[in-house]
Amino acid sequence: MAKSQILAIDAGGTMTDTFIIDEKGEFVVGKAQTTPKDESIGLMESAKDALTYWDTTVEKEFPSLLAGVYSGTAMLNRLVSRVGQRVGLVLNKGMEDNHRMGRAVQSHLGYSYADRIHINTHHFDPPLVPRNLTVGITERVDMHGNMIIPIYEDEIRPAIQQLLDRDVEAIVISFLHSFKYPDHERKVRDIAIEMVKEAKKDIKVFASVDYYPVRKESHRTNTTIVEAYAAEPSRISLEQIGTKLKEVGSDFDLRIMASHGGTISIQANELARTCVSGPIGGMVGAKYLAESLGLPNVACSDIGGTSFDVGLITQGELAIDSSPDMARLVLSLPLVSMDTTGAGTGSYVRVDPNYGNLTLGPDSAGALVGVCNPEGGIETVTVSDCHVVLGLINPNNFIGGKIILSPEKAYEAVKTQIADPLGLSVEDAALGVTELLEAQLGNYLESMILGKGYSPAQYVCFSYGGGGPLHTAGYTKGLGFEDVLVPAWAAGFSAFGCGAADFEYRYDKTLDLNVAEKEDSSVILNTGKVLQSAWDELKEKVAEEFDKNDHAEDTVKFRLFYRMQYQGQLNDLEIEAPFERFNGVEDWDVLVKTFEETYSRVYAKSALSPELGYSITGAIVRGIVQVAKPKIPTEPLSGKTPPADAFLGKRKVYWTDGWIDANIYEMEKMKAGNVVGAFSILESTATTLVVPTGFEAHLDENRIFHLKEL
Amino acid sequence: MTTKQEELTTHIQEGVFQQSRGPIGWDGKTLKQMRKETDEISKETGHYAGLRTLPFKESDPIRFEKIFSKLRGGVVHARETAKKVAASPIVEQEGELCFSLYTPDADSIVTSTGIIIHVGTMGAAIKYMIENDYEVNPGIADKDIFCNNDNHVGNVHTCDVHTLVPIFWEGELLGWVGGVTHVIDTGASSPGSMSVGPVNRYEDGYQVTCRKIGQNDVLSKDWLLESTRSVRAVKYWTLDEKTRVAGCHMIRDLVLDVIKEEGPDVYKSFIREIIEDGRRGFVNQVKTMLVPGEYRGVSFVDVPFKDLPVHDYAKVNSIMHSPSKIKVHKDAKLEIDFEGTNRWGWHSFNATPVSITSGIWVMLSQTLAPNDRINDGAYYASEFGIPLGSWLNPDDLRSAHANTWHSLVAAWSPLWRGLSRSYFARGYLEEVNAGNAHTTNWLQGGGIGPDGELHAINSFECAASGVGASAVKDGISHSAALWNPEGDMGDMEIWEMLEPLVYLGRQILPGSGGAGKYRGGSGWQSLRLGWGTNDWTMFVAGSGHMATDCGLMGGYPGAAGYRYSALDTDLKERFAKQLPFPQGADVDPDNAEWDTVIEAKTIHRDRQTVSTEEMFKDYDVIMNYLRGGPGFGDALERDPKNVAEDINAGYVLPRYAEKVYGVAVKEGKYGEYTADEAKTIKLRAQIRKDRAKRSIPAKEWMKQEKERILNKEASPQVQHMYAGSFALSEQFTDEFKGFWDLPKEWMVYEEDLNVPTYGAHINRFKDNK
Repeated sequence: MAKSQILAIDAGGTMTDTFIIDEKGEFVVGKAQTTPKDESIGLMESAKDALTYWDTTVEKEFPSLLAGVYSGTAMLNRLVSRVGQRVGLVLNKGMEDNHRMGRAVQSHLGYSYADRIHINTHHFDPPLVPRNLTVGITERVDMHGNMIIPIYEDEIRPAIQQLLDRDVEAIVISFLHSFKYPDHERKVRDIAIEMVKEAKKDIKVFASVDYYPVRKESHRTNTTIVEAYAAEPSRISLEQIGTKLKEVGSDFDLRIMASHGGTISIQANELARTCVSGPIGGMVGAKYLAESLGLPNVACSDIGGTSFDVGLITQGELAIDSSPDMARLVLSLPLVSMDTTGAGTGSYVRVDPNYGNLTLGPDSAGALVGVCNPEGGIETVTVSDCHVVLGLINPNNFIGGKIILSPEKAYEAVKTQIADPLGLSVEDAALGVTELLEAQLGNYLESMILGKGYSPAQYVCFSYGGGGPLHTAGYTKGLGFEDVLVPAWAAGFSAFGCGAADFEYRYDKTLDLNVAEKEDSSVILNTGKVLQSAWDELKEKVAEEFDKNDHAEDTVKFRLFYRMQYQGQLNDLEIEAPFERFNGVEDWDVLVKTFEETYSRVYAKSALSPELGYSITGAIVRGIVQVAKPKIPTEPLSGKTPPADAFLGKRKVYWTDGWIDANIYEMEKMKAGNVVGAFSILESTATTLVVPTGFEAHLDENRIFHLKEL
Repeated sequence: MTTKQEELTTHIQEGVFQQSRGPIGWDGKTLKQMRKETDEISKETGHYAGLRTLPFKESDPIRFEKIFSKLRGGVVHARETAKKVAASPIVEQEGELCFSLYTPDADSIVTSTGIIIHVGTMGAAIKYMIENDYEVNPGIADKDIFCNNDNHVGNVHTCDVHTLVPIFWEGELLGWVGGVTHVIDTGASSPGSMSVGPVNRYEDGYQVTCRKIGQNDVLSKDWLLESTRSVRAVKYWTLDEKTRVAGCHMIRDLVLDVIKEEGPDVYKSFIREIIEDGRRGFVNQVKTMLVPGEYRGVSFVDVPFKDLPVHDYAKVNSIMHSPSKIKVHKDAKLEIDFEGTNRWGWHSFNATPVSITSGIWVMLSQTLAPNDRINDGAYYASEFGIPLGSWLNPDDLRSAHANTWHSLVAAWSPLWRGLSRSYFARGYLEEVNAGNAHTTNWLQGGGIGPDGELHAINSFECAASGVGASAVKDGISHSAALWNPEGDMGDMEIWEMLEPLVYLGRQILPGSGGAGKYRGGSGWQSLRLGWGTNDWTMFVAGSGHMATDCGLMGGYPGAAGYRYSALDTDLKERFAKQLPFPQGADVDPDNAEWDTVIEAKTIHRDRQTVSTEEMFKDYDVIMNYLRGGPGFGDALERDPKNVAEDINAGYVLPRYAEKVYGVAVKEGKYGEYTADEAKTIKLRAQIRKDRAKRSIPAKEWMKQEKERILNKEASPQVQHMYAGSFALSEQFTDEFKGFWDLPKEWMVYEEDLNVPTYGAHINRFKDNK
């Protein structure tokens, strides 16, 4: 009998992974080569591979699937390697250089601190649209939407013609303050569509206001260009996947993971936001898990080979960054906010020859692991090399034995490169590296939480990802988290997250509504009216999207948010309106009170500035419909002692008190209810959980380890 | 028994320490004693605080590093969080704020990112408080808040406002945290943070001299009232102050947390050792990157004040002279000497010694030591010569400093070239940088804002100027400023929210980056239209007649400046009739297209690139020209293909391809240029021949020049500039006269030049002329 319920697809640049989850939350993983020309081929191969673990086939299983979510890197790769569509760009006349000039910040985005200040390292990537495919049309409106210069109609057709003559494949139009006065962009859009038709060409025209009606022209223009340049070509390949899934009997609408933490349909208007689906899967999974476990505040941490990613769930919500950067471009997409630091298990470890201090990263050996990997050709010590020296990882069982590591090579490298220059023993040097890494990660995590105006005691820490559990005890030590959770199924967490994402649209609109501290009720009522009509407009937009997949408006759960700041400030806070409709002056007081509570938590009470008055800077609507989600595994509780067959023996580990004998367990064989004390190492193919001195861990009925500081 | 009144009198007479607790320094010392001891032992031993070894770091390098990483991470994070409180795009968007942590006696330990020039200026403010016995009066207590922006205490300019908060642990002062923001207005005689109008201290804005402005973490009412009545753009002032206070308090909490964890003694050892560690690291960095020897350079910047509406004594066209010498000693000590700098003047471009020495770290951290270990250790590894009476060190409390960057960026440019020669010699070709652009224009103004309150504006688009070329690639265009390597021009939609000026153009300016084998990064222009002005004025400040850099190893300097504005225009009518008008950049100023599409009562198109307030209303236009950087190497060696590409991309005008680069180009069907390689080879050969023909032996040239010097053929401004240097420095005079082999009696005296000498004090010729 078919048991598959959820399909999660992770299409990377080289490999496509599929996760198929059953009704109990158990899953199988399949792998196949990615097939960029028609991604559905690789996907089917990968699914076939997965289902062999259950001895079944795609044809048997797919008709029973309730939901499927895709996340892939094709769009991002297209963007980063600049192989997207040939886009023509229409800007204000006189400002045609603006797109290629950057924002200068794009010349050092994504750099380490040292390189950010090291001016000779800065560089701009080539602009998505070259200067010779950019044209200008005269018009100007001001920030309030008042017309200053009418659109010079005579310039429209020649400008568009110039782009058509140069064989553009898409046209993007972005005028200053168009979100306040859309008519000019739309006029050019309509004429362009007409001219495309006359020329019998197949060119899509994108007006920025139809996509991202928000302030900051470089963000808005970049994002609309990404829509045309990289996202539109993906629509075709997603449709191919959708068709193929239907062909093998599945009966669900394929959804795609999107930057705001929800999933959207492949028919969605704004597809660019699916560009960043990869790393946020874990955050979305954590949010779902937190909801299921009834935890409001969760700090999520994920250590991979190259980076440490942390993000917060506060009062059940993911924080959203509305002007993020990605692929060295400033954008206006809502993105689940996550902080990344270049410190992972593959990070290079060096002693600065001039300052004599230990440095970690920011560059890393990534998948090549370290000097300990005889096949990797790496010469610089990595964090993983230190793990090998300390005995924390089993050199013969790394990624299930796929790579046999050389402890001798690791030892020699740590000795000459780290231990000798610092005047430490090899073991102390390796332990020192681990401690420093964990201290840095712990500081990072703590400062993020303090920056939100909370303390770690109010949060539960989740740790997942390949490298996380090895360091979890270290980086949570002393921070006083309410609890520290490591799912035993941590390795598949990101895919689990994709499968667990809501079907959710989110649309934003920029507003400028100023209200003094003590304001007439007529002004307040008018402000409320404008805010409510923005919400109504966005609700309609969200409803239209759901309508494409036949979800009627009354099945959509709408949530209203607003952005508020003190007048004149440049940073606002995004807050959920604690009501369904703005009805009167008392609702304004509620909005202000909610804002100030959040503000004083984030920036300290002394920063409250009601005397400046308030600004509502944006309206946001999120709409959600119910979809099938994976189950969280449950199993009955057993005794405290792990079963005998879970115990793999003992291994020498170097720790603060010298060499000790650590108990080694096989993670998969542990039973719910089992408790292990220090010093224990729990191994699985994809991850290693270390329970060091001063800690113990127990496995609960959801197969989640609780790491407890004693 | 004494009465209360008597007790009080006694206390005042004895100069008691606040709350009668005695000194707040370590081991019962006063801060003054601590400062003196640190200075003496550091000088005597050559090691900071006499630390010949680093016992803590050497015995427990991991713990040492953990403390560093916690403090450094926390300081950086506090800056990121606090800056969101600000309303000013200068702070929030351009990042013009910085936090730093100090020892009790004012040496910096760790610093955030941002305008790190203030590591030194805030240290100077704390030192000033120590020097003036603030422990006694007004007292330094836990939870006090101090403020300083006094130029003569050692600030950069009035608009950099410091908030200083002491950190106490069980009654003992364990350090200070300082925060600084560049505020938008300080109530100077004209609006904007870097105004041109002021020519003396009393016009330079509201100056606060290390004043206690709060107790128990609360700002005093009298301070809030006075300060907000003393400046324009109060909203920004207020939120900037909240930003600084919030950041300082976050960092204080962090430090207390570290002390709680590690204990006060460990913290004390750490903060001493990390500074000595910084000193040693910097010395090693110098050894790795540089070649011992002397590297000399010079730069000039014009001060065209003759026709400005300023006081009589300030109406002078003059030049600021910045000769410098970097001496790399064999033991890797770095010495930078500005001997020969000319006299300070009645303009707002003077500097303080702290601003130049501290500012040098801004520069060195971008090239010689780009890492997070920069602290006062580097300062202890170097030595500076800043002549008293020069514009770098005025000997008169009346000097004005509002726009000191005008001259500072010029003075630093030769230092890039000096270091770059050394990098070149060591083979670090990627590190070579031909120098910084004159990171201007400063577009400023003020009036009544949209909310009906006094408003001031100060565009920071020049944070994205062109950068100097390296020895392997072109300088990056429109991207950074000397004072902020993490530069940005910001979004136009954001600037328009704050300024009653809408954009008519933002475009790269051809020819703005210096030509060379590798071209200097291009500058650009934005063109702004008055819109929503109310009682408004505008003015500009930038380089004009003179190029302030000079290119490296044959490269050209970045283009010099000019201004453009048009007042009382016919633009309203033109817009209505959909007629052409100035847009984009003034691409070819020699054949200005703009001038053909506008009528105006007044058009300024000239080299008066520093101006004072001029009334400005709707439909007036003003151009903001952000300068390009200098080039590297002979332009004749540039790949002809790159020259053609430069034309196509708008970095070079076609006629200069031939004239400057010796590249023959042809125009294609779509107006695209390609290089004609065969013709180029011939053309370049011809140019080389012409060069050879024009050239004369250096000795011969020097003879000719010497004649001109003897005949005093130089312009009055140049003579005045040298006279100012000669009057201050015997060494410079001797070197100058020695070099040109001038007779003993030859001299140029300020008094003979028919310019005001008002305020000139030091003059070594006074008695023996």
